[in-house]
Amino acid sequence: MTEVVSIKGLSKRFGRIQALREISFSVPSHSVFGLLGPNGAGKTTLFSIVADFLKADAGTVEVLGIDTRSISRLRGRLSILPQDAQFQRNVPILDQLVFFRLLAGRTSQEARGEVTESLEMVGLQSVAKRRIGSLSHGMVKRLGIAQAFLGQPEVILLDEPTAGLDPANARQIRDLIKQLQERATIVVSSHNLAEIQELCDHVAIMDHGKLVLAGSVDEITRSDRKFCLRLSRPLDEAERERVCVLEGVRDIQREVPSVPGLGGDGADYSVRLDLSGGQVDQDAVMASLLRHVLDMGVTPRHLTEGRSLEAQFLDLTGDVAEGVA
Amino acid sequence: MTSKAPTMRHIRLICVYWCRHAVRSGSGLVYLMIALVFGLSVAHILIMPVEQLMLRQKREMGRTDPQAVEDLIVGVGRPITQWVLGLRSMQEIAQQNAMAPPSGADERSETGSAREETGGYDSWTNFLLEEKPALLSAILLVMLFGMPFVIPFLAFNQVSGDVQSRGLRYLLLRTERRHIYFGRFLGVALFSTLVMALIVMTIVLYLAMKIRIYPALALLSWAGQGFLALAILMLPYIAVCSLISASVDSPFLSLVLAKLAIAGVLLLAVLGGLAWKPAEYLLYLLPWGWQNHLLHPEPGHWLVAALACLVYTSVFLLLGYVRFARRDL
Repeated sequence: MTEVVSIKGLSKRFGRIQALREISFSVPSHSVFGLLGPNGAGKTTLFSIVADFLKADAGTVEVLGIDTRSISRLRGRLSILPQDAQFQRNVPILDQLVFFRLLAGRTSQEARGEVTESLEMVGLQSVAKRRIGSLSHGMVKRLGIAQAFLGQPEVILLDEPTAGLDPANARQIRDLIKQLQERATIVVSSHNLAEIQELCDHVAIMDHGKLVLAGSVDEITRSDRKFCLRLSRPLDEAERERVCVLEGVRDIQREVPSVPGLGGDGADYSVRLDLSGGQVDQDAVMASLLRHVLDMGVTPRHLTEGRSLEAQFLDLTGDVAEGVA
Repeated sequence: MTSKAPTMRHIRLICVYWCRHAVRSGSGLVYLMIALVFGLSVAHILIMPVEQLMLRQKREMGRTDPQAVEDLIVGVGRPITQWVLGLRSMQEIAQQNAMAPPSGADERSETGSAREETGGYDSWTNFLLEEKPALLSAILLVMLFGMPFVIPFLAFNQVSGDVQSRGLRYLLLRTERRHIYFGRFLGVALFSTLVMALIVMTIVLYLAMKIRIYPALALLSWAGQGFLALAILMLPYIAVCSLISASVDSPFLSLVLAKLAIAGVLLLAVLGGLAWKPAEYLLYLLPWGWQNHLLHPEPGHWLVAALACLVYTSVFLLLGYVRFARRDL
């Protein structure tokens, strides 16, 4: 697979703080790549160096085969949603976005058309003539996403795109990202592990400025994949042991609801799979498990994929990491 | 398209965008207000005694005496002009006034002695007060002296505010740093020039329609040169602000430093020169030592002064650009 972003030996220091330590990884073409890490891990610094906002002390970044120290050669091909960057307060948002498109060589009419389309994508077309001060936090975030989607960038960097959005808006943005994957490579940083697991096919996990793990989500979660299973009745100890000996099943644990009675009818279990051997695949293991359960006279009522990535993340960064959803 | 074409297009777009939104952004509005108040107040202070004299003459004689009015202007304008030009110190001017007979300008004109008294003065002062419309000369000179203190209100926040708010990051992937830097410099220069034009035009209109002691053509041509002098003079001071704005993140700090730099050089040179003569050369750290020559009678002088202003502008701009291009944003 072609590498769209290639980071080699990247280091950055702010005074006494080593923000990044020899980070190296690459982002495959047309992937949605997740950058994970607790607060202060260096995700935003990494994004800022990729976009040439910050100068690296050592190392190189290439996007689409171009060294980002010559960032102007990537004009129109790379876009970013920077974290905490503010739009101008006193200028209507339409004027600001139209100005961005004028810089891309569009005529005023073309620019307005593209901006309107982009604002429609994030549901902000009705506020185009308003100023930033009159928008809510969520709307400003969506506006930032709209500017990142302007034009036809081949690589889009989104620094915490759904932070501060309500669930409906966050869902809309995730859907947009999935749609855009067809025509662009997207790098997303987030604290929300469920979101990253849902969106991304590749991830890099950072902690204290170091890269602790990078690879495809499938590879990373293979040794510890988790499912939530609701059964019509609890399993007794013997039944549970029969399930545990199935190939590919690591263990099955009863999930006790934190509030008694909240679970309703049935019993919730978390099933952890170990597919690291590579001989069995996930679907085969789950089919075998469900067959066994049915044979025992128990009806499976609900099955969802759990947060396998979270377990990996917590193992690698320590479970005291802040802000982990 | 060649690389030069998008460069010019981007600089033009950024310049026009900055200029268009300068008033909305606060700093443009503040500058507009302060510059208008300053320019028109200077004009008011210098024109008011002339208007009062003309009113008095009309009341007493039923007409105005242009010669007496002219003499008053020259009498009032001469010490101001000489001090601003740096030809004489305040102390010398005070001594001269103390030695002069306690008579009014109109009385002097009646005796015809005023012109004889002025005969001994330098040709530069005579050029400004006698060959050119004196009232306008005095106003332009004071504006040349004062506007450098006003310009930081417009130019202090060329990039520092957007660096602090990180708003610049939306632009950085869409254009080059040099386009942002030079585009905004030109935006400030354009806005400042428009404000100068507004002030000079207002003053000229008032002098032409209300005071009516100078021929319109003389007034217009001298106003044109004065406006050009002001417009050119603002460039190096805007460039100083560009350098400071590109070096610090806080717009407030940028304003304070710009003020300190512009006023500090002048103060250090003037006060330092009292204690140690060579300290006066500190004036040349900024265009303070050159700027009055923009109204010099010799074309060679004002050409050199204009060139000096452009050299200062280039140096400060270049230093600021080097800083801006290399720094974290």
